[in-house]
Amino acid sequence: MEGRMDAYARFRPESSTVPASGPVAIRILPEVARFSLRIAPADLGVASEAFGVALPGRIGEIAAFGSRRALCLGPDEWLLHAEEEEAHVIEAAFAERYAATPHSLVAIGDREIGISLEGEEAATLLSTGCPIDLERLAPGTGKRTIFDSVSVVLIREEKDRFTLEAWRSFMPHVLGLLETANRELAAGL
Amino acid sequence: MSTFRVAGRGRIDRSRPIRFTFDGRTVQGYEGDTVASALLANGTHLMGRSFKYHRPRGAVTAGSDEPNALVGTRRGPGRFEPNTRATMQEIYEGLRTESQNRWPSLGFDVGGVNDRFYMLFSAGFYYKTFMWPRSFWDKVYEPVIRAAAGLGKPPTEPDPDRYASRFLHCDVLVIGAGPAGLAAALTAGRSGAKVVLVDEQSEMGGSLLSEPSVEIEGQPAWDWIAATMAELASMDNVRLMNRTTAIGYYHQNMVGLCQKLTDHLPVPPEGAPRERMWKVRAGEVVLAQGALERPLVFDGNDRPGVMLAGAAQTYLNRFGVLVGRRAVVVTSHDSAWYAAFDLADAGCKVAAIVDTRAEVMSALREQARVRGIEVLPSHTVTGTAGRLRVKSVRVNPVVNGKVGAARSLDCEALLMSGGWTPSLHLFSHTKGSLHWDEEAEAFLPGRKTEACRIAGAGRGLWGIGKALEDGAKAGAAAARALGHEAEAKSLAVANDREGRGVTHKELPTDRDPGRARAFIDFQNDVTAKDIRLAVREGMRSIEHVKRYTTNGMATDQGKMSNMNGLAIAADAVGKAPPQVGLTTFRPPYTPTTFGAFAGYHRGSHFEVTRKTPIDSWAEEHGAVYEPVSLWRRARYFPRGNEDMRAAVARECRMTRASVGIFDASTLGKIEVAGPDAVEFMNRMYTNPWTKLAAGRCRYGLLLGEDGYIRDDGVIGRLSNDRFHVTTTTGGAARVLGMMEDYLQTEWPDLRVWVTSTTEQWATIALNGPNARNLLAPFVEGQDMSDEAFPHMSVAECTVAGFPARLFRMSFTGELGFEINVPARHGRALWEKLWEAGQEYDICPYGTETMHVLRAEKGYIIVGQDTDGTVTPDDAGFGWAVGRKKPDFVGKRSLTRPDIVAPGRKQLVGLLTDEPDVVLEEGAQIVADPDQPKPMTMLGHVTSSYWSETLGRSIALALVAGGHGREGETLHVPMPDRTITAKVTGTVFFDPENTRIKL
Amino acid sequence: MLLIHCPYCEQDLPELEFAYGGEAHIARPADPSALTDEEWRDYLFIRSNPRGVHFERWRHVHGCARFFNAVRETVGDKFLMTYKTGEPRPSEEEVEARLKELSA
Repeated sequence: MEGRMDAYARFRPESSTVPASGPVAIRILPEVARFSLRIAPADLGVASEAFGVALPGRIGEIAAFGSRRALCLGPDEWLLHAEEEEAHVIEAAFAERYAATPHSLVAIGDREIGISLEGEEAATLLSTGCPIDLERLAPGTGKRTIFDSVSVVLIREEKDRFTLEAWRSFMPHVLGLLETANRELAAGL
Repeated sequence: MSTFRVAGRGRIDRSRPIRFTFDGRTVQGYEGDTVASALLANGTHLMGRSFKYHRPRGAVTAGSDEPNALVGTRRGPGRFEPNTRATMQEIYEGLRTESQNRWPSLGFDVGGVNDRFYMLFSAGFYYKTFMWPRSFWDKVYEPVIRAAAGLGKPPTEPDPDRYASRFLHCDVLVIGAGPAGLAAALTAGRSGAKVVLVDEQSEMGGSLLSEPSVEIEGQPAWDWIAATMAELASMDNVRLMNRTTAIGYYHQNMVGLCQKLTDHLPVPPEGAPRERMWKVRAGEVVLAQGALERPLVFDGNDRPGVMLAGAAQTYLNRFGVLVGRRAVVVTSHDSAWYAAFDLADAGCKVAAIVDTRAEVMSALREQARVRGIEVLPSHTVTGTAGRLRVKSVRVNPVVNGKVGAARSLDCEALLMSGGWTPSLHLFSHTKGSLHWDEEAEAFLPGRKTEACRIAGAGRGLWGIGKALEDGAKAGAAAARALGHEAEAKSLAVANDREGRGVTHKELPTDRDPGRARAFIDFQNDVTAKDIRLAVREGMRSIEHVKRYTTNGMATDQGKMSNMNGLAIAADAVGKAPPQVGLTTFRPPYTPTTFGAFAGYHRGSHFEVTRKTPIDSWAEEHGAVYEPVSLWRRARYFPRGNEDMRAAVARECRMTRASVGIFDASTLGKIEVAGPDAVEFMNRMYTNPWTKLAAGRCRYGLLLGEDGYIRDDGVIGRLSNDRFHVTTTTGGAARVLGMMEDYLQTEWPDLRVWVTSTTEQWATIALNGPNARNLLAPFVEGQDMSDEAFPHMSVAECTVAGFPARLFRMSFTGELGFEINVPARHGRALWEKLWEAGQEYDICPYGTETMHVLRAEKGYIIVGQDTDGTVTPDDAGFGWAVGRKKPDFVGKRSLTRPDIVAPGRKQLVGLLTDEPDVVLEEGAQIVADPDQPKPMTMLGHVTSSYWSETLGRSIALALVAGGHGREGETLHVPMPDRTITAKVTGTVFFDPENTRIKL
Repeated sequence: MLLIHCPYCEQDLPELEFAYGGEAHIARPADPSALTDEEWRDYLFIRSNPRGVHFERWRHVHGCARFFNAVRETVGDKFLMTYKTGEPRPSEEEVEARLKELSA
């Protein structure tokens, strides 16, 4: 039981750092405006116009402009990221187009917590819970996948830097596993 | 005192002596030794006692197929591992080992009397010996056998070690790093393919480690290994994993590897896991597992000092240990002749080579002659002598099938070889077929089901040269199949040791075969006689013979015994071996710790524990938790020394008296948005939604197509096109999945989308007569009067400055509100309400009080008061069904014959005649407590509580025909008494709903 | 653990990302009220459960979240093909051809 309490006591989404436990730097990312956009693929142009970024049409692709970026998660599903201050502007831009182009834009900024994993062994660290072949996840792409038993969105920012987002209540579990595995990498075995 | 070490032999590091203990005695070995090799170097052959007869046993192999030399290893509290193979465990300074299955000591063991009564323990003894009298089963057999049974003793402390796991993807996985595997890995690695090479041993090289006299490309074998390993290690695309066992081969080239990381280290590094499970997905697999040597089956073949000839050769060449100074070799295969020569050259007096065959290559006979070794062709072995170690062996000539006069040969070691069995365990895991090869007298790989190639001795090829060539070809073919350019380079081999042999059933004897202790499965103490008895008693299938005799069922999984068992069973049945067939090999290849399978899933990470944004407040305020699906939820908040009943009674009182605050964040939430949202809701839920105005909410009931209740929750219409749906805590993912299913596959034309917002919002419920008084001052953007915001309303506004979705609703029967704010603000809002609530004597309550308050009102909990066979009518929720709607999920089923039939179990209230008695949830209900057993059950109690509000117990129950039984007295038989209760309606408190309308 | 080809993601991905969804090509009747009790029973409960080629639904739940259809050979537990929801059921010839291709 002690381990259980400890793991939760240490975890505070408000704090931005996770105690260094190994060669991979694990950081909790600042809050962002986050939306789940669902729209018919035929209406992608309208959505691109509303968001100000040409939304990618292929699952896994990412498009960005300034601090806004969009990841195509499914044939009619995009994950949008933006700075928090921009949330209302984005909502308004989509709302304006709703009547002519129905869609669903749902704020999920608080639903997930994002973390960053950086270091030469970041992919190895992820392979402790992630069954996909990470070599096939090219830098600049992302996808929804699974880490341990948890549904996550994984973005490969660079070869050795990943962003991982999971629903808030699952993050302590994911982080705990990553820290354990990071210590394992530090042990060198 | 290493009296059996041979100078200049072996790969051990003589500059690094290591001391460990065996049964408390200090033993010295060297770095590179296994427990077995170090004990043998000190002249110790006796390493354990057998499972059933407690016969003295020594190491019979030098590898993972070892059935006898199982020891317990210990390195401190909780770090005790039974059944460790002494032949695999590397020694380190401070290692403590102990022998098993003996009491009081290894040399003198009381359980050894079993051996005298072996006639009692014949095949199937489990089914025969312990049957009668009946009373003996409980008093004698069970306790005595339990105490004596088992292989080793499990540790009692929690395992302090950590275990790891990893996924790995590669092009070519090569399993086994003997000559074939090394050549395969080298060839594939040079092609640029991503290669993983694994071997269960501490160092790679396989049989080459035991064959130093072979030359490859002009280099001594060991130099070639060193050069090859150096080249492999230099390639970035090659991963080398020793001490790693491929335990199972699964679909689409997924192979499980268990890597031992620290069991060989005197001091494991901080944070290092003990073992790691690798789940490898390979494009191509090369199985280069080689072959396993078989023992010969003769009386006394299990005595310490009797071992496989190949093992003796390994002990000499790899570990520099002579297994005896005077040895006899008995064989049906040429390979044992080479072992005899190596031992003779190292100073062992090989008294004789006893070969079952009449004809042996003249070159071998010539080499024996040169070394002065007597050769006895066409001979059999009919017995051994010696109490704790073999002293002599009895050999007889066989002429025209007749066993001639016996002769005794003194020896310290008897080396046997019954030929070699290709190791096809992993191949068999894939359901690849095996075919019987007449010439090799072995099962060889046949039709494949996976992208794999078998190389070397595993497919019956014999000799280093052939293994290297075959391995290189397999490696090249595997790389080419994945689009790499690869060429199998041929390697020149000198001093190769090619050979052949024949296979036997038990060897012929001049003695009564019924008294022969000729072992097949050493670990499970199965003899040739047991197999024949099983066949005589009617077992025909090899699977039945296996289970009846337990042959091949020990932890070595028949690696040594399988083929000998088959040969004898086939002979007894009167069929050829391929007609009898092999038993099925199943994973794991060698015993694997539970830790390795559990991996990271232990302690706090046994499974996910989800916590709400308010959980930390509850923890600081002494909440007692309960698990609800993956969440942990505050169950109650005890004050002082309160127990649950007292705390819950107080929480109920305070909430109904003034105001209670409850964390409802775990409720599932789904945003349903789009022009067709209302149409979608009409189709999904039983209720009608068209007329529900924006800003209002309604209790929604969700069925499956079978008409049974699946989920429920309050649903708010935020605008014409947007609904905020709530679900049960446990049903959130299921309901979302169900909605997506209908949208994607049945109604793709609907323009509506669903998004989970469960964790977007923290949800705080305020209930009680003072709920509005507490909340209203915090609300901006919504008139909180009863007229402007009546019961079952929803609004988007701000609460304490946080953007909020505010519901007026109640799950307690009191005036109630549920405030949803973005999750990050959940705790802050809670604290503000908590602070302001002090004025109203606010009370935080948990799930238990929530359950009591809702039960007092007859509100159901889906999954507790329903069980997947309850319809809306059964639950008394017919009012929630929009019967005028043309269709909704499950509507058609509500007129199914069995759903409209009388006598269905229906939800009712139960009030015990004794108001202080609280029924047990799950208790069965009968109409007549005096009826004979088995009684006719009418139903069961689904919810039962002490109601502080009513000052008595209340219960809900599903009862056959319950709605027609109001006023009836029913009976609840319990172990100590029968409780009587009256059937009532389900609403116990405030049936007019006056309190929620404040 | 199988690899499953997601027809939407156009990738072979580990089974852990997917969830099984029962037999495929059992469309919900357009007007359930027009069905006899027997017809409705068949829709609800009667499934083919074959030994061999099975048409079934899967969902890429930890991926693109799409439901799709698959043809799986249940004896060897091998996927023969997958295709998007709404696409026609592969013909017997197509299935046979794929079976041959896999056993070759």
